[in-house]
Amino acid sequence: MLESLLAVGGLMLLRDSVEWEGRSLLKALVKKSALRGEQVHVLGCEVSEEEFREGFDSNINSRLVYHDLFRDPLSWSKPGKALPGGPLEALRALDKRTVSGPATIALDSLSWLLHHLPCPTLCQTLHALSRQDSCPGDTPPGEQVRVLGLLHEELHGPGPLGALSSLAQTEVTLSGMMGQASAQILCRRPRQRPTHQTQWFSILPDFSLELQAEPPLESQPRSDPHTPSVDPTTHLTFNLRLSKKEREAKDSLTLPFQFSSEKQQALLRPGLGQATSHIFYEPDAYDDLDQEDPDDDLDV
Amino acid sequence: MAAAGTSGTGTGSTGSVVAAASTNNVTSFQRRGPRASGADSGCSRLVSIAGTRRSVRNGQLLVSTGLPALDQFLGGGLAVGTVLLIEEDKYNIYSPLLFNYFLAEGIVSGHALLVASAKEDPADILQKLPAPLIDHSYKKECDEDICGHKMESDIKMKIAWRYQLFPKMEGGPVLSSGFGHDYDISKRIPQELIETSKWHGFFLPEKISSTFNVESCSLTSGYMKLLQFIQNIIYEEGFDGSNPQKKQKNILRIGIQNLGSPLWGDDICCAENCDASHSLTKFLYILRALLRTSLSVCIITVPTHLIQNKAVIARVTNLSDTVVGLESFIGSEKETNPLYKDYHGLIHIRQIPRLNNLIYDISDVKDLAFKLKKKLFTIERLHLPPDLSDTVSRSSKQDLAESAKLLGPGCGMTAGGKKHLDF
Repeated sequence: MLESLLAVGGLMLLRDSVEWEGRSLLKALVKKSALRGEQVHVLGCEVSEEEFREGFDSNINSRLVYHDLFRDPLSWSKPGKALPGGPLEALRALDKRTVSGPATIALDSLSWLLHHLPCPTLCQTLHALSRQDSCPGDTPPGEQVRVLGLLHEELHGPGPLGALSSLAQTEVTLSGMMGQASAQILCRRPRQRPTHQTQWFSILPDFSLELQAEPPLESQPRSDPHTPSVDPTTHLTFNLRLSKKEREAKDSLTLPFQFSSEKQQALLRPGLGQATSHIFYEPDAYDDLDQEDPDDDLDV
Repeated sequence: MAAAGTSGTGTGSTGSVVAAASTNNVTSFQRRGPRASGADSGCSRLVSIAGTRRSVRNGQLLVSTGLPALDQFLGGGLAVGTVLLIEEDKYNIYSPLLFNYFLAEGIVSGHALLVASAKEDPADILQKLPAPLIDHSYKKECDEDICGHKMESDIKMKIAWRYQLFPKMEGGPVLSSGFGHDYDISKRIPQELIETSKWHGFFLPEKISSTFNVESCSLTSGYMKLLQFIQNIIYEEGFDGSNPQKKQKNILRIGIQNLGSPLWGDDICCAENCDASHSLTKFLYILRALLRTSLSVCIITVPTHLIQNKAVIARVTNLSDTVVGLESFIGSEKETNPLYKDYHGLIHIRQIPRLNNLIYDISDVKDLAFKLKKKLFTIERLHLPPDLSDTVSRSSKQDLAESAKLLGPGCGMTAGGKKHLDF
């Protein structure tokens, strides 16, 4: 799954934390892109160029185009030398530079850029970077620009994190267990449901990626059910199941409010063979036995 | 009598007094009719614009949102001159569908369109609109659904036999006649329909200048440009009645995507106490003023799940007329809940306007869920079973903590702060 990540263009966020660092994964992905023959641009802000290039062979180092913001971020020495205008201009220069062919841009790191630039500006610039402006319409997947951004998620609040997540096509969150690193990959393709995947991996000293299977889980302390399971269906005072005969008897029973034909016949033939019901009444002392209608004198 | 005699020259009918009065301009009575003399403002012609209808409750001019089911729950349709705000779902999968339905309905009804976005080119958005569906194929699909339901419920009720006479609570979509249209999401809209329609696009990265200056006014420059663009279109095309030569009145449908996201230059999604926190609210206020004075309807999608300050969400809701919230089940624990297994998310109708009315036009159905089938987006009533658990009346501590989230200092907020401190 991690290999197919590079096939998708757009912005990829690598969220790391103090326990599980992400720069080695970033370098591994950079090495993979370089070996594929793509142009790779690296904007270095947090570590020096020597430290970033450490561990790469010479052929990969020759393919990397490094833009250094670490040594002189505010361009105090020799104005106009390397990158005037600060990080924003550096990003815009990257946008204009990648004209032909597939390219990968690695931002090391987005956290540094978030601290130096206002968040909406950074989002707009990243969006412009990851869109392919030159070819209108659908570009073939191999031709797109990929932006890999390293983000230290403990340095920011939920606001900037949420804003960058909504922009990103892929989000890789690094975590792990017992010394084994894992990546939780959330892939958001437009108009499709996002896919979630967990991939265990390790990075070899020469920064090549090795995928691994899930490590076996330790036996976790399970709470044994000390209480013996009681079957509630024993010792009941009523029947839970019906036998066949009982079911037939139940189905053939006519309910009191069902208007069946027998009832209809019985109502249509009153008094045939049936005892008519009498009402026996003894008048009370206060009862008025006058049979006249008391409403007769009303002029209605 | 003498006066009638002298003024009655040439007119002998009983209406002669009235006609004479109008020629002499003595009284202000004017005859109402199709051949009325005098100014046009004297008679009120009921304007009939394609794709609209009058509400049966208060005579308001309504347009369809593109989804007949949603029209039904919004009181018949969207009133002209109002704003429909859609609160986006978390991964922004279903709100673009509602947006596209609105625009597709505009194209099919012949309305003018204005599409504004900071993320996608408006031309691309128009290419991806759904195709209108021919009526009989959709009816066939609907009938198949109903037949399937009928087979299951053929068992006659023996004890509760009175309920057999009741209508079935199907909750299916209402097939209205002529007002809304049905769309097929799996097909794209035919190219000739787009070409014959009149549309204007506003794509922010093209319009904004490359120098990011600090804005002195309180409106972000992106919003300011969008408002000016909308105002120009309304004025030039005559939607506000300013161009008297226009014979055929038409509706302008405005669609603004992802308003309030950082791509518009607004930082309400990024920080809680932001500098330009009134930018979006001012924009909505001015937009609504523009809409009220012209024949236009607007749909806006806002990522409210990203907005950090709850007060801003409340203000944005109050400044819009109709507010519909989408909540999708993807990634939440509701996905595995057996109650919701047939549906893809919930729809909350949070607000309905009270236009020229004393009462709100809300329906009595509050639990609505939506489902995205291969070709359709359906909204149905959610039948919830009664809650018989122990914790029915007690609200959980987690909910209380989240609703009482205080505004903390900006840099002190650490990520993943769902736990609350219990003093």
